[in-house]
Amino acid sequence: MLETVKLSKSFKGKKVVDEINIYLDAGESVGLLGPNGAGKSTTISMISSLIRPTSGDIKLDGKSTIKDPSEIRKVLGVVPQEIALYEELTAYENLKFFGQTYQVKKDILEGRIQEVLEMVGLKERQKELIKTFSGGMKRRINIAAALLHQPKILILDEPTVGIDPQSRNHILETVRELNKTSGTTVLYTSHYMEEVEQLCKRVYIMDRGKIIASGSKEELLSILSTEDTIQVQLSNRSESLIDTIKSFSNVFQLDETNVGLRIISKKNSNLLSKLVLASEKEGIQIVNYQVEIPSLEDVFLHLTGKTLRD
Amino acid sequence: MYPVLYAQFIKDKRKPLLVLLFIALSILATLIFGDTSRQTEITVDVFASGSNAEEIEQRWVKLLNDNSETEFVISEEREAREQVREGKRDVAIHLMNNDYRLITASDMPDILLVEQEIHQVFIEEAQLQAIAGSENTTNLREQLKNYLENSPITVQTENINGGKLTSHDMGTQLLFGFTLFIVMFTIGFRVNGINEDKVSGVWNRLILSPVSKINMYVGHLLYSFFIGFIQLVVVFLIFKYALNYEIGSLPMILTIAAVYTMSSVSLAMLIAGIAKTPEKFNMIYPSIVPMIPVISGVYMQPGAMDNPVFNFLADIFPLGYAVDAMMDVALFGAGWSDISLPLSFLLLIGVMYMGIGINLGERGKG
Repeated sequence: MLETVKLSKSFKGKKVVDEINIYLDAGESVGLLGPNGAGKSTTISMISSLIRPTSGDIKLDGKSTIKDPSEIRKVLGVVPQEIALYEELTAYENLKFFGQTYQVKKDILEGRIQEVLEMVGLKERQKELIKTFSGGMKRRINIAAALLHQPKILILDEPTVGIDPQSRNHILETVRELNKTSGTTVLYTSHYMEEVEQLCKRVYIMDRGKIIASGSKEELLSILSTEDTIQVQLSNRSESLIDTIKSFSNVFQLDETNVGLRIISKKNSNLLSKLVLASEKEGIQIVNYQVEIPSLEDVFLHLTGKTLRD
Repeated sequence: MYPVLYAQFIKDKRKPLLVLLFIALSILATLIFGDTSRQTEITVDVFASGSNAEEIEQRWVKLLNDNSETEFVISEEREAREQVREGKRDVAIHLMNNDYRLITASDMPDILLVEQEIHQVFIEEAQLQAIAGSENTTNLREQLKNYLENSPITVQTENINGGKLTSHDMGTQLLFGFTLFIVMFTIGFRVNGINEDKVSGVWNRLILSPVSKINMYVGHLLYSFFIGFIQLVVVFLIFKYALNYEIGSLPMILTIAAVYTMSSVSLAMLIAGIAKTPEKFNMIYPSIVPMIPVISGVYMQPGAMDNPVFNFLADIFPLGYAVDAMMDVALFGAGWSDISLPLSFLLLIGVMYMGIGINLGERGKG
């Protein structure tokens, strides 16, 4: 349905998006994951025709949208990262305004406004000014405004930044429902791994302007199929014990966390017995030993050497 | 375009205080400063000393009061000096038989005016004494007055259209000046809505909608025009019908106001295009705007501003053209052809600044 071909963008000679290829099938829910500054928002701005790519192409049903973006604009609903609403207007007035600008027919606009308000759970508060809303409520109206013209593709740029858990759940549920019941194609960007894991069938991981991995959750996790992530809690911290563990042939990485040690080792390397022997020698007890089920966060860490919130 | 315009209206409907404040400010400023300039009558204490002080005072006070706009009042020397010392009067006059001394504590513009008037009266009296050959000039003065009433040559002064020559009225100039100056703020803060929309993301939402960019700009700019023009109409109507100011032909004044509003919207758009963000606009615009009436000579008598640099700067802003055109209409009964030149300049400024402003605002986008 929608694809980018070697899409790139440079600002003052610096490449912020570097030849990325993304595709979205109709009715799919796809995540675009990456830390702040990875180039997600720039990618979205290019896809939604707000900025022109330096090179590459964006195709909607096989047809380039760069020269004439009118077709993609018709089918696109974009939820920007910022609260793109008039604070001095009520929720209803904002939706009416955006509905009118999207040329939703007069006789159906009122119905659509009530539908989207119901969807985001703010029907009862529609007569209140946006400036009196909490951050979470504003973000929900921000989403509602993008749904008025019933877009086929919904692009959400970090729609849950800085909001309370209740509003966050509501937003995730709304997006899931839209994808499930209306068949809306969703491109969801976030730096919250768990949101993307919950919502999206397929994920693109982006870092420093490049797609560094992509696929279904299972496919991405299989990247870590040769590794175990082990959390170890010790009775005392010992520098010599840490050095000993690092010297084990099957240990790839060792990080100190606030609860102990995080060890990435070769899968099924029987690390426990070696660890018990080494700690006994140092007179240190192993309080806790846990082999973690890998998450997308671990995949990201593995690929970039840093966490998503870095 | 209509939804954009309507949304701006709703925003102002929720916060009408600013517009009402600017209307009140226009009226208040004109009433305070305009009426001060209308009430230009100055009172000056005069005194004489010596044995024939009373005679000197009576003689000169009559002559001075008969021949000048200033009111001269006889007072005690000590009291007159005290008034000047305490700053209650700018000047006092020590009268002598055929001479005078000015007693001042500061260099005020009024003093020059008073000095000119007294000098004129004393020179005239000296000339009459020289002709009469004595200090008694009463008869000669009477003869001269009768002669001048039936003089062989009479000089009549009239304006360019053959009408009565009208003296310049600073009150009316200030009415136009303040009103047109204050409306620039109303207009500017509305035009800044474009930058606010761009920063908040509303602008991007509109770009993705079927509304064209031209309509987005037109919606904002037309609303700024309307709100500014309505403010001018309200102020002028109040002055004409409630405060009985003579502002000339209302249709002509409103036409000038409309064209001025359009060019002021363009000026605000130019600054918005340079500033790019609402915060920068709020910093730059209110810093530039108060300088415009000063360099355009709005607070001064015509011709008082003779600095070529200031005159050039005044020429690139719309205020001076509009005030001049309105003054021509109000004081000299100028016709449509007389105001066509300033209107053309205003239109030119409007078109140029609008083009440059929108272009600058659109620059720097990927």
